[in-house]
Amino acid sequence: MATLKTNTLTGTSTAGSIAVTGEGNSTTTNLQQGLGKVWANVDSSTASRDSFNVSSLTDNSAGNTTVNINNDMGNANYTGSWYTTAYHTSTVGDFVNNLTGGFGGFATGSYTTISHNGSAQVDSDRNFSTIFGDLA
Amino acid sequence: MSNLLVQNIKHTNNTTSMAIDTSGQVTIRGEGSATTTNLQQGLCKTWCDYNAEADGTGNMSLADSFNVASLTDNGTGDYTFAHTNDMASGNYVFLGDSQYETGTIGSVTTVKIKSGSSGNKAAATMRVKSEYSNTSGNCTAYDYAQQQFAVHGDLA
Repeated sequence: MATLKTNTLTGTSTAGSIAVTGEGNSTTTNLQQGLGKVWANVDSSTASRDSFNVSSLTDNSAGNTTVNINNDMGNANYTGSWYTTAYHTSTVGDFVNNLTGGFGGFATGSYTTISHNGSAQVDSDRNFSTIFGDLA
Repeated sequence: MSNLLVQNIKHTNNTTSMAIDTSGQVTIRGEGSATTTNLQQGLCKTWCDYNAEADGTGNMSLADSFNVASLTDNGTGDYTFAHTNDMASGNYVFLGDSQYETGTIGSVTTVKIKSGSSGNKAAATMRVKSEYSNTSGNCTAYDYAQQQFAVHGDLA
């Protein structure tokens, strides 16, 4: 068995680009492009339960949180997925259409999430977000 | 191009970080070091950030993307995206979202696979619908300026 010992993996042609064979073995995908660059699990007190590549959280107002990114994105044209219960406790009795919110602004060093219960912004117990895109 | 033929990649302290099987699948050490996970399975296969009303008349534009070959505007809130490298089947996960715009009615905005045909979520293409709903659940198609999605699953 051959074993490679190293501390860092770097692309040969482009340092930040490594091709990986896909599951079906007929195509390749890009390692760096496929990695989640930021993820955060935030509670109703704007405290992080756990996160990756997050330097700090800013409580802008009720239900409005800025996630500050540790290693910045290359531009603001990134994508993400977001989820909130729009409810202040971990127990949600029912889900209706007016429990919602969404992303606010995107910047290279931060993004904003908004939790809204249909009539007002609310501090939600569960605010999950994941970001994909290009690192700086 | 140079090739390196190995089955394991280890830290210089001899801790295994990655193991490569005969089909090229890579198993990597988990953050807690108690388990491993599959590198290919954990990668996002396609992501896209786009503007559905780039010129104010509903014409679309890509802001940034990965593994997106083309997009087609089928009408208000109705778009088709083609993968560059196809998925293995239509059995993948699609996660979409749009950014709320002041003035649009309703509190729920969604970007999702369009219903009505299994072919809307295919290995090569995805037909996507963007809409908002009011509190009664009535949905209206809408071209939001800021929309994004990510796809997870098996490549072909």
